[in-house]
Amino acid sequence: MTEALHWARYHWQRLIHSTNGDDDERPYNYSCLLACGGTSSQTPRPAGKHRLVVPHLQPFKEEYEKFSGTYTNNRIRTTKYTLLNFVPRNLFEQFHRAANLYFLFLAVLNWVPLVEAFQKEITMLPLVVVLTIIAIKDGLEDYRKYKIDKQINNLVTKVYSRKEKKYVDQCWKDVTVGDFIRLSCNEVIPADMVLLFSTDPDGICHIETSGLDGESNLKQRQVVRGYAEQDSEVDPEKFSGRIECESPNNDLNRFRAFLEHSNRERVGLSKENLLLRGCTIRNTEAVVGIVVYAGHETKAMLNNSGPRYKRSKLERRANTDVLWCVLLLVIMCLTGALGHGIWLSRYENILFFNIPEPDGHVVSPLLAGFYMFWTMIILLQVLIPISLYVSIEIVKLGQIYFIQSDVDFYNEKMDSTVQCRALNITEDLGQIQYLFSDKTGTLTENKMVFRRCSVAGYDYCHEENAKRLDSYQEAVSEDDDFADTLSGSLSNMAKLRAPSCRAVHNGPLGRKSSNHLAGSCFVLGSGEGASEVPHSRQAAFSSPIETDVVPDTRLLDKFSQMTPQLFTPLDETIPDPPLETLYIIDFFIALAICNTVVVSAPNQPRQKIRLSSLTGMPIKSLEEIKNLFQRLSVRRSSSPSLASGKEPSSGVPNAFVNKLSLFSRMKLASPVEEEVSPTSESPQGSGNAVCPTEIEKQDSDAGVTDGKVESLPGQSLASSLCYEAESPDEAALVYAARAYQCTLQSRTPEQVVVDFAALGPLTFQLLHILPFDSVRKRMSVVVRHPLSNQVVVYTKGADSVIMELLSVASPDGASLDKQQRIIREKTQKHLDDYAKRGLRTLCVAKRVMSDTEYAEWLRNHFLAETSIDNREELLLESAMRLENKLTLLGATGIEDRLQEGVPESIEALHKAGIKIWMLTGDKQETAVNIAYACKLLEPDDKLFILNTQSKDACEMLMGTILKELQKNPASPGQASLSENLHQPPAPRDSGLRAGLIITGKTLEFALQESLQKQFLQLTACCQAVVCCRATPLQKSEVVKLVRNHLRVMTLAIGDGANDVSMIQVADIGIGISGQEGMQAYVNLLFWYQFFCGFSGTSMTDYWVLIFFNLLFTSAPPVIYGVLEKDVSAETLMQLPELYKSGQKSEAYLPLTFWITLLDAFYQSLVCFFVPYYTYKGSDIDIFTFGNPLNTAALFIILLHLVIESKSLTWIHMLVIVGSILSYFFFALAFGAMCVTCNPPSNPYWIMQKHMLDPMFYLVCVLTTFVALLPRFIYRVLQGSLFPSPILRAKHLDRLTPEERTEALKKWRGAGKIGQVTSKYGNHSATKSERRPTPGSSAVFAMMSPTSCAVEQENLSVHETALDSDYSEMKASEIAGPIKD
Amino acid sequence: MPQMKRTPQDCPSRLPENTAVKQQQLPACRLQLSATGILSGFFATGVFCLGMGVILILSAKSSMEIEINYTKICASCAKLRENARNFDKECTCSIPFHLTQTMRGNVYMYYKLYGFYQNLHGYLLSRSNSQLLGTDVKDVETCAPFSKSHDGTPIAPCGAIANSLFNDTIILSYKLNSSVHIQVPMLRSGITWWTDKYIKFRNPSSSNLSSAFAGTTKPPSWPKPVYELDENDPGNNGFLNDDFIVWMRTAAFPTFKKLYRRLSRTQHFIEGLPAGNYSFNVSYNFPVTRFQGEKSVVLSTLTWSGGHSLFLGLAYTVTGAMTWLAAFSMMAVHLKLKGKRFSPDDKVKL
Repeated sequence: MTEALHWARYHWQRLIHSTNGDDDERPYNYSCLLACGGTSSQTPRPAGKHRLVVPHLQPFKEEYEKFSGTYTNNRIRTTKYTLLNFVPRNLFEQFHRAANLYFLFLAVLNWVPLVEAFQKEITMLPLVVVLTIIAIKDGLEDYRKYKIDKQINNLVTKVYSRKEKKYVDQCWKDVTVGDFIRLSCNEVIPADMVLLFSTDPDGICHIETSGLDGESNLKQRQVVRGYAEQDSEVDPEKFSGRIECESPNNDLNRFRAFLEHSNRERVGLSKENLLLRGCTIRNTEAVVGIVVYAGHETKAMLNNSGPRYKRSKLERRANTDVLWCVLLLVIMCLTGALGHGIWLSRYENILFFNIPEPDGHVVSPLLAGFYMFWTMIILLQVLIPISLYVSIEIVKLGQIYFIQSDVDFYNEKMDSTVQCRALNITEDLGQIQYLFSDKTGTLTENKMVFRRCSVAGYDYCHEENAKRLDSYQEAVSEDDDFADTLSGSLSNMAKLRAPSCRAVHNGPLGRKSSNHLAGSCFVLGSGEGASEVPHSRQAAFSSPIETDVVPDTRLLDKFSQMTPQLFTPLDETIPDPPLETLYIIDFFIALAICNTVVVSAPNQPRQKIRLSSLTGMPIKSLEEIKNLFQRLSVRRSSSPSLASGKEPSSGVPNAFVNKLSLFSRMKLASPVEEEVSPTSESPQGSGNAVCPTEIEKQDSDAGVTDGKVESLPGQSLASSLCYEAESPDEAALVYAARAYQCTLQSRTPEQVVVDFAALGPLTFQLLHILPFDSVRKRMSVVVRHPLSNQVVVYTKGADSVIMELLSVASPDGASLDKQQRIIREKTQKHLDDYAKRGLRTLCVAKRVMSDTEYAEWLRNHFLAETSIDNREELLLESAMRLENKLTLLGATGIEDRLQEGVPESIEALHKAGIKIWMLTGDKQETAVNIAYACKLLEPDDKLFILNTQSKDACEMLMGTILKELQKNPASPGQASLSENLHQPPAPRDSGLRAGLIITGKTLEFALQESLQKQFLQLTACCQAVVCCRATPLQKSEVVKLVRNHLRVMTLAIGDGANDVSMIQVADIGIGISGQEGMQAYVNLLFWYQFFCGFSGTSMTDYWVLIFFNLLFTSAPPVIYGVLEKDVSAETLMQLPELYKSGQKSEAYLPLTFWITLLDAFYQSLVCFFVPYYTYKGSDIDIFTFGNPLNTAALFIILLHLVIESKSLTWIHMLVIVGSILSYFFFALAFGAMCVTCNPPSNPYWIMQKHMLDPMFYLVCVLTTFVALLPRFIYRVLQGSLFPSPILRAKHLDRLTPEERTEALKKWRGAGKIGQVTSKYGNHSATKSERRPTPGSSAVFAMMSPTSCAVEQENLSVHETALDSDYSEMKASEIAGPIKD
Repeated sequence: MPQMKRTPQDCPSRLPENTAVKQQQLPACRLQLSATGILSGFFATGVFCLGMGVILILSAKSSMEIEINYTKICASCAKLRENARNFDKECTCSIPFHLTQTMRGNVYMYYKLYGFYQNLHGYLLSRSNSQLLGTDVKDVETCAPFSKSHDGTPIAPCGAIANSLFNDTIILSYKLNSSVHIQVPMLRSGITWWTDKYIKFRNPSSSNLSSAFAGTTKPPSWPKPVYELDENDPGNNGFLNDDFIVWMRTAAFPTFKKLYRRLSRTQHFIEGLPAGNYSFNVSYNFPVTRFQGEKSVVLSTLTWSGGHSLFLGLAYTVTGAMTWLAAFSMMAVHLKLKGKRFSPDDKVKL
C-alpha cells in the first residue's frame, strides 16, 4: 500500500511537473542550451521528464515551492503496515495464500447448519491461531523495520539553515530536496545530492559504496565544475543555480543533469557529481552538497525493490503433494457421501436414523449424501494440516538461526557471520545441481598481482617476482597445514554470499537490504562508528603481495641506460636504443598515470599527498629530457597523419581551450611555468614529515602501514604512499610502475605527478580522462606531456580492442611503422602466451595529438558532455574519435590469484555431483587456464571448444560434439571434428568427463531459441562449462536458461555489480524435505465412518483434534526439522559424495511420498482396528473409544519420529516427553473440568477412568507396537542389507578418530564400489532421512535434517564464501583459516 | 554522527556463541543399536507379547458370557411393535434358557442391540446438556427434531437419544425347582458411571419431581413421563434414572451392549448365578425389526481384562509370534552378512 501510495504520489508529481514545464520551463531550457553555444542537434526532451531542483532557501521560496516543494522528503517508511491497517492488511495478505483460503472456506462451511460437523466456533480456532501466529510474526518483523526506519529517520545531519546562517543539526527525515548538507568524513550520506564543495583542494571526495553494491573500493566523486576552483566553502546564500536532473530512477550508474547558473550558463553533471544515499564519505574532511533526490526517491531506495520471492523446490513439491492430499480427501469424502446415501436409503423411513429436519421434513438420501460430502470435508480437513505451512516457516527460521550462528561461517577478520535473508532457501541448499560462478573475486581473490610485461616487443618475465609469489604461496599453505586440509581452507572462506545468503561486511544487512536503507546498514553495521574505519580503510588498500613487485633485472638494466647522459647527444643516427627506451618510459608513464588511482599517505587519508608545487629537480636534466621528447615528437610528426601536430604549443588552440576552461577541468597554466616553480621543500622531506607524525596520531592505522613501510629501502616515501583504485588491476599496474622507480606521486583533477627516478618528478597536466567502460573496454587519459609539451593520449585496455585501434601502417612504410608492426606481432605473441598462463592481459598504447586536433576533439567532447539525453552515445562517439591511431607500447600480464582452497573446493563440489559453470568475461585462454588451475577441468578431461562465428556453424558443431559425447564414452574418439574442436587424447574409460568452453559470441547463438535445447543437451553431458567473454546479461541468461529448462537447483555466486542479475535469477537452497503429514489420524476418523453410517461422527473430541494439530504433534517435528543431522560435519566434509543424495532430493522422492502414504495407511488401520476389535461388542461409548485411539496415535507419531530421526539430543527428548506429558495433562485436565463444555463429546472423566484401566494401556501398547513394527524392521534391515552411503557415513561418526581415519581410507578406496552402492541405496530406500512421517497433522515432520543441510551447505556454499567480501579481505594479509 | 559512536564494549563480536546447542554439537543418541541389542530387544518384546497374550486369553476364558437373542423368539411382539400405533399395547414374551455352569462372582446383565446406530452424527447431537444438568429444563434448543411436542410444549428429556430410550423390561427368573420360579434379585443401581449419575445428570431442583417437570411433556415414544420411570424407587426417577443415564451415553458402534442390571448377591445367588434353568421375561417395547436390528440379553461375569473378548489376547499372541519370526529372520540375515563385513562391529545397525 505504501508503495502504491508512493507510486501514485510520484506520478501525480510528474503530472504536475509536466504541466508546469509546458508553459514555463521549456522555453527557458532551450534558450539556455543555446546560450551555452552548443550546436548540438539534440533537442532536449520535454522538461516534464526532468526534475528541477532549486535551493530550499528564502530567495527561492516561490520557485522552490513551485518546483521542488512537491518532491518527497527524506523520511523513509519501509514498513508494510500501520497500527490502523495492520489487521485488515495482514489478513488480506495472509489470505493470498491458497491454504488459508481453504481453511477459511472450511470454517465458513461449518457454519452451514446442514453440513456442520463440529461446533461452529471451535472450527475457527485453528485458523485463528495460525493467522495469529503469522500475524504476530509479520507484526514483529514490521516493527523491527519500523524501529530501523525510525532510527534512520532520526539520524542527524548538518543542514544549512538560513535563519541561523549556518549548518544546524537536523534529522534525516527533515531533509528535503534543495537542502544544503554538510558532511564530515565517515558520515553517511542522507540523501542523493550533488557535490558542490569538498575540502579537498581538488574538489574530490571519496565515497564508499559498500552499503549499496558491496564493493568496498572507494569511489571518487567530483565537485561540480566551476565550484572546484573556489577556495572557500560554497555559500548556500549565494548559490543561485538550479539543477535540472532526470526523474528519480534506480540506475545507480547514471545521473544525467545539469546545473544552471543564474547567468544561464550550464554545467553538465554526471554520476561523478552525485553522492548517493547510504554511502559513506571517506578521505575527505567535509563536503557540501545540495539534495536532489530524497527519501524514497533516492537511487538507493528505488533499488530496493525487495527480495524476489524464491519459491523453493521443496515448497513446489510440497504443494503438489498437498494437491494429492486434496485428491485423496475428495475421494474419501465421496466415499463418505456415497456410503451415507446408500446407508440412508436402507433406513429411509426410520426416524431414529434419518433424523428429520426441525420442520419434520425428511431429507432424501441423495441430498443427505450431498450434505455429507461437505460434512466429511470439514471432518477430514486435518488431512491437509493447517499447521503445515506454519511449521515449515518455523523450521526454516530455526534453520537459518543455526546457519547464522555456525562458528564455521564466522569470519574473524570482518567480525561477521553468514547472513541469510530469504526464508525459503535453506532447504534448497542441499539440492544444488548446478553452480554458476563468476571468476573474478569468486574463484579468484581479486588480488591482482603484476606478473610480467612486454614492452616494445620484448617480454620481461619477472622471474624474481614469480619467485616471490611462490614463496608467498608456500607460506600460506604452511599456515594452512595447521588446519584440517579441506575444512580449514573452507572455513577460511567462511563467508557465504549467495543470492540471499550473504555475508555482510560489518553489518547484518546484505546488499539488498542495505540498498533498502542504504543507511540501515549504517545504523546496524557501522554502529561501531570510529572503530570500523580502520577496517574499511584497510579494504581500500592492497596487500603486500600486490604492492611489492620485484622488478625484472633485464628491464632494470634498460632503465640504467636511461641516464640523462645517454640522451644528451641528439644523435639521430642511432635511433633504436633510445627509441626502445622511450617506449619503456612511455610504457611506465602510462602505467602510472593511465588510471584513476588516488594517492594518499596511508596514515593520513584525508591529507592527500600533494606534490604539485614540489617539482624541484635539476633543470639541466630536465632540459635534456625535454629535448629528448621534442626530438621524438619531431620524428613522430614526420608521419603524415600527424603533420599538423607540429604547431607550437602555445597559441591559438590554447586560447580556444582557455575559453572552455570553465567547463572542462583543466588548467592552462603554461607547463613551463609549472615546472619552473620549484619550491624549497623536497618531496621526500614533506612526505616523510607527514607520515611519522600521523602514525603516532592514528595508532589504529598503524597495522595497515606496517607492511608497506618496511618494504624496499630507499623508497620510504614511495612505499608509504597508498594507492586507492577502483579496480585492483589498476593498482597492480601502478605498483608495478613504482617498482621501476616510476612512482605516481600525486594525482589531482588537473595534474599528475610522477616521480621517475631516472628523469626526476614529471608533472603531467591532466587534460582529460575517459573512464573505463565495459563497452569500450579501455580507458584513456589525455595529458600534456611536461617534456615534449604535446598532448598525449595514453590508452590502456583489453588487447583485442587496442589492437584494432592501432594506427594502420602508412603507405610509405616508414621504418617506424615497420617497427610498430614488428612490436605488434611480438606483443601479440606475448599476449597469447600470457593468456595461456591464465594472466589477465592489458595493452598499453599512446597517441600524440596536435593541439589543433585536440582542440577540435575537445569542442565536440564538450558538447557531448553537457547534453542530458543521448549523452552516453555521444560520449562513446567522442571517445572513439580520440582513441584511434594508437601506437602500441606494450602489454602487461596480471595474475588474478586463485583463492585459497578453490581447487579443493571445486574438486569436492565435483565429487558431490554438482556441475559447475564458470561464467567470465575473460578471454578464452585465460579462462581455460584458470579452469585448469582451479581443477574445474582436469588434465585428462575431454575438452570441447565452441567458438564459431555463425549460428549455423554453431549448430553444426554442437551436433557433432553431442554425437561424439553420446557415443560410448570408452571409445577413443580420435577423430578431429573440426578446426575448432580439439580433443586431448585418451579420454578416461570410466565415466567420461567432458568440459565445454564456449565464447560469448557463440553463446549468443546458443542462447537463441532454436539452439537452446541442443545447447542444454550438450551441457548436460559436461561436468564443467566455461563461458568466456560473456557479458553480464549473458551470464544471467545462461542461469535462467538452465534453471527453467532443466528444472534443477542452481546456485549462482558472484560479487560485483555485474553479477547481480545472475544472482537474482538463480535459486539456491539446501534440502530440507518437509512433508505433509499423512494423517493416520484423519484416517482413523475415516475408518470410523464405516461404523456410524457415514454420518460424519467424530469419535474424538474436537479440542483434542485441535491440540493434536497445533501442539502435541507439531513441536516435535519442528524441532526435528531444525535439529536433524544425519552425518557429522567432519564426515560430510571428507566425503563430498554424500551430497548427491540431497541433490537428487532422494529423501523426498514422489515414491517416498507414496510409500509414506502406504505406511500411514497401514498405521491408521492398525491404530483403528486394534482398539475396534478390542472393544467390539462391548458397552463402550463413542468418546471413550476415541481416547485410546488418540493416545496410541500420539505415541505412534512421536515414536515414528524417533525411528526416523538420525540423531536424538536432549532437546528432542525434552520435546517428545513434553508432548506426551502435555497430552496427558491436557486430557486429564479437560476430563476433570469439562462436564458439558464441548458437546457432544464432553470427555468428562474419560481419561481418568481409562488410566485406571489396565486394558487401556494394553491396547495402547499393542497398537503402537504393531503400527511401528514394519517401519522399524525395515529400518533395521536397511541398515544391514542395503546401507546407503549416508547411513554408512553415519556409522563412521560413531567410531573413534583413529578408526574413522582408517574407515575413511577404506571408503575412498572403495570409491568405485561406492558408486554402485549409492545407486543401490537410491532406490532401495535411502530416502532414509527426511521422509514423511505419518501421523497427525503436524507430523509432516520436516524430516529433513536441517543440520545436515547446514553442513552440506558448508560444502556447497563455501564456494560462495569465496567471493564473500574479497575486497575487505584484500588488505588483511591473506586471511588465515579461521579455526576455533 | 556522534550518537553512533560506541565504545568497543558496546559492540560485541559477532562471533556466534560456540555452544553445543548453537553449533548443533549436542551429544546425540543415534538410535544405532548393535545387532545384539536389536535382536535381544525383539526377543524380549516377543516374550512379553506372548506372555501377555496368554494371560489375556486365560483371563478372557475365565469369564463367562451368555447371550440370548430374543428378536426371533419374540417375533409376534416384534411384529406388533412394527406398527407405531400399537405403542400402548402390552406384549411380553418369555425366553427360557439353561445355564450349564455356575456363573461365579458378579454377574451383569446387558441388553445388546444389533444394527442400532447410536453414533449417528445427527442423533448424537440431539440432546440438551443443560436440560440434563437440571439447570434449565426447558432448554430444548439443540434437540431437534424432538424438542417440542406438537402443541409447543418442550419435551423433557428432549432429543433423539432420549426419545429412543431402550424400554424393554427384562426380568430374569430362576427355576429353583420344577414348580418354584423365583425372580433373580437384580440391582438397577451402580450401572452407570459415577460421574454421570452424580455430576452430568441432575434433576431440576424442586420439592417434588413432577412439579419440577411441570410445563414439559414426555418424549413422543415414551409411554410414561420421565419422573415415573421407576415406580419402585422414587430416587431412580427423572434424569437420574440409571437406565436412562446408561442409554444417554451413546455407544461407539452400531452393535453394542449396555449394562442393564447387576446381580444382587443374596440368598441363592451369593456365589453368583447357579447352574440351572432360567428364563427371561421380556416386556417387549423396543422395536428393532423396523431397522433390521436385533436385540439380545447378555449375562456376563467380568474380569480385570474386561469381558469375554479374546481379541486382545490373540492379538498379543500373534504379535509376539511375529516379533519372534522377525527376530529370527533378522538373526539369519545378520549371521549371513557377518562374514562379509569388513569391520567386525559393522553389524546390523539402524
